[in-house]
Amino acid sequence: AQDVTTWRVQSHWPASSSSYEDSLVRLKNVIEERTEGRVQLQLFEAGALFKAQETFNAVSRGILQMGTISPGYAQDKMTLAGIASGLPFAFHNVWEAAYFHKNLGFEKMLQEEAAQYGVYWATDKVYPTEMVVKNPINSWEDFTKLKIRSSGALQKFLDDAGASTTYLPGSELYPALDTGVVDGAHWGAAQGAASMSLYEVAKYHVKPALNIAGTDVIIVSQKALDKLSEKDQEIVKQALDEQFWYRTNEYQYQERVALSKAMQEQGVQVNTLPDDVQQRLTEVAQKSWDEEGKRSEKAAEALDKLKTFLGELGYL
Amino acid sequence: MRLIHAYVNGITRLNIFLGRWVAYLIFVIFLLLIFEVFMRYLFSAPTSWTNELGQMLFGLYIVLSGGYVMAHRGHVNVDLLYSAFSRRTQAWVDIFTSSMFFLFTLALLYFGSSMAWESVQSMETSYSAWNPPIWPIKLAIPVGTLLLLLQGIAKLLEDVIVALNLQPVADTPKSSPEETQ
Amino acid sequence: MSIEITTLLFFLSLIFFLVLGLPLAFVLGGVSVLFLYFTWGVDSFYMVATQMWGTMESFTLVAIPLFVFMAMLLERTGVARDLYRMMHLWCGGVRGGLAVGTLGICAVFGAMVGISGAAVVAMGTIALPAMLERGYDKRMVLGCINAGGGWGILIPPSIMMILYAMISGVSVGKMFAAGVLPGILLVALTVTYVLVRSYLQPHMAPALPPEERGSWGDKLRAVRAVLLPIGIVVMVLGSIIGGITTPTEAAAMGVLGALISAAVYRKLNWDILQEAAIRTFKLTGMIAWILFAAHAFSAAYQGMGAQMLIEDLMMGLPGGRWGIIITMIVIVFFMGMLLDPVGIMLITLPVFLPIVNSLGFDPIWFGILFVINMEIGYMTPPFGFNLFYLKGIVPPSITMRDIYWSVIPFVIVNLIGMGIIMAFPEIATYLPDTLF
Ligand code: NA
Ligand code: NA
Repeated sequence: AQDVTTWRVQSHWPASSSSYEDSLVRLKNVIEERTEGRVQLQLFEAGALFKAQETFNAVSRGILQMGTISPGYAQDKMTLAGIASGLPFAFHNVWEAAYFHKNLGFEKMLQEEAAQYGVYWATDKVYPTEMVVKNPINSWEDFTKLKIRSSGALQKFLDDAGASTTYLPGSELYPALDTGVVDGAHWGAAQGAASMSLYEVAKYHVKPALNIAGTDVIIVSQKALDKLSEKDQEIVKQALDEQFWYRTNEYQYQERVALSKAMQEQGVQVNTLPDDVQQRLTEVAQKSWDEEGKRSEKAAEALDKLKTFLGELGYL
Repeated sequence: MRLIHAYVNGITRLNIFLGRWVAYLIFVIFLLLIFEVFMRYLFSAPTSWTNELGQMLFGLYIVLSGGYVMAHRGHVNVDLLYSAFSRRTQAWVDIFTSSMFFLFTLALLYFGSSMAWESVQSMETSYSAWNPPIWPIKLAIPVGTLLLLLQGIAKLLEDVIVALNLQPVADTPKSSPEETQ
Repeated sequence: MSIEITTLLFFLSLIFFLVLGLPLAFVLGGVSVLFLYFTWGVDSFYMVATQMWGTMESFTLVAIPLFVFMAMLLERTGVARDLYRMMHLWCGGVRGGLAVGTLGICAVFGAMVGISGAAVVAMGTIALPAMLERGYDKRMVLGCINAGGGWGILIPPSIMMILYAMISGVSVGKMFAAGVLPGILLVALTVTYVLVRSYLQPHMAPALPPEERGSWGDKLRAVRAVLLPIGIVVMVLGSIIGGITTPTEAAAMGVLGALISAAVYRKLNWDILQEAAIRTFKLTGMIAWILFAAHAFSAAYQGMGAQMLIEDLMMGLPGGRWGIIITMIVIVFFMGMLLDPVGIMLITLPVFLPIVNSLGFDPIWFGILFVINMEIGYMTPPFGFNLFYLKGIVPPSITMRDIYWSVIPFVIVNLIGMGIIMAFPEIATYLPDTLF
């Protein structure tokens, strides 16, 4: 009989999230099939064993063999996390973020930094984060009047830009938006908002995206990886690399479908920010980028690389 | 014997002293939440720090409670069978079941310390908009566990004395009058 | 070792140490560590520490000490006592009147909080002494508080419903709407039970003797006692519905209301504040350490592969679609005796929901059945959170045996309610279908 290795995999997605099925179950199937069953993944949904914020540490310690996270949950270890989880108003299109990660070597930098903690880093996909609001934003004043539920780096950005932000746990987001405790929020983009029922109580989907980034990451314990045969290690890494392209593309399709469904069935409208609002937000955003660059030499290097790239594209 | 006595009384006093101060955190938590509600509703100016600070103080509040609650015999158990035992039998049973207590608290102490140490080393912050340091709160995990553990050792010592019929232990300063429920 | 045998040993050890009188928190924590050692190794103890950190970071739990503090203030300042005096004067002629009044307050509490523990401790503080003083049977009193305290998760807002919605992908708003009529049904059934039982057995919940019922003047003067509590309810509920606060922050409004009441009673002094703070700390600490350990326990059980057990159990079931639904409910009922509700949700729902959907049942209706089942789980022995929270607050004359026995009729009433909702799904689905 052949040796079977079973990996415990902690997700940061709830089982109902489309990414749980499309990213994690897909990866499980691919790996199990290609290793001919030698590597089995035992999946746990968000929060079952570890909270999202502790998954990186658990994988780093080798207690979990694999996990999914947002870079933000590994901030204290990964100085590149801030850039990975998305500088606001940097990329305009998803392909740009993909190019930056894969072709310009940002993913390599992330992998090098994660390797210091015994973690193999593989971005699951790049995608936008977009806001939903109860009333459309038609002017700068509309924007600054907003009370937005936010978190992490985006909260700081929105705050600096002049909106009022507040942090509420996900479980209180729906009632808060419903009763008007807050009048805007971001939870992923269209699919995220739909999964949290936000379109029931907030009918305007704001474009453009607050950021576009590698917000979902698959992490593997290097220790666990090393225990596999070289052939199986290669299979796992290959599967992860393919996963990025497959999911990034698929996710854009799913986003579009989710938004169009919300528009048809729930009367959601797209609220495109007026040019002057976009302009002012971009100015505030660019100042916040420099903060991230100060976290380490690596971060400064990544930020330089990013600015050069955006310059090339004519955005700066 | 006198040493044991001093230890039991000392730890119990320490826990009760600390607990009384930590208990007042409820006022601060209340004020922070109310302040946020007023700022957000009346002035449309929610703060980025009140809820988070309230949350952090709540974490401190509950994690430091273990020893205090135990000093007051406040951790709830099932007394169906237990209450039918004699005091000495109870002591023997408690000595046996304390194995579970020590398993739990020692695991918590070791891994809580390791988690806290990691956090202290990197001077971990929350990476929220406010971005306060959270290592002090993580550090409270081993501290709170240690307070509970020390109180558990005191309980074990008392049980051993009762079980072996060594000498009746004088009542620990368990409850001052205004604290009885 | 198969998951079936691990499960059996795991739960038997839980019951073994519980019966030997070790506090619940340490039973849960110790047994988790023991089993993690054998199934996963020493390194996995790290999970116990991280679960503790996760509990410390849970914002919704902040409501617990605040609502407990509110209740302590209301009790010590005499607001609660006057409220019960008023209820006794007005409904004292009816057997079981105070119990019904208590259930009414529980229902209002249920609309104010999204969690279960706060209401139990609060009502245990306010209602229990008042009813015992007036000659009510202790098991009747305990049962009412246990049952009524659980309504926090059935009557919206409810954290359980939000969790269910997040796991199942149904709408939160629809879940909330779906909870309203079943909530009313369960309240009505429980009130009916109490009235019938105390009519048949007057010693359980005696009426006030006619000579003590007071004149109309007494009655009217006593009504003043409800003004402050109503004021607090308006503050809390109004601030949630009016979009002023989240349900968690509303707990702080409750404390504010209680402080104002204390000032009106001229009892707002440092001694009372200090005493209330210390009692709150003791109870919250007791609850928190149970939660620390319970969360570790669920995580340990899931790490052992609990979900495989559920998958095995659901494999090849006889009995058609209703047989399957009833089997699920029975499984959840038994898990509710031993596990914490969030853990049960994470273990069972990913297996159950695809089946529920493929059988053509409404997941919202199933969600309501599930939430009622969780509510029952909060009060079923041997391990129900509410039972232990209540034990933490009752006088020493009340034993765990009393608390265990007290819940039986109320569990049956809840099961009947669940049966009615199974037979008439419209009770759950009518409002969400109409409103959305
Ligand atoms: Na509720
Ligand atoms: Na139970």
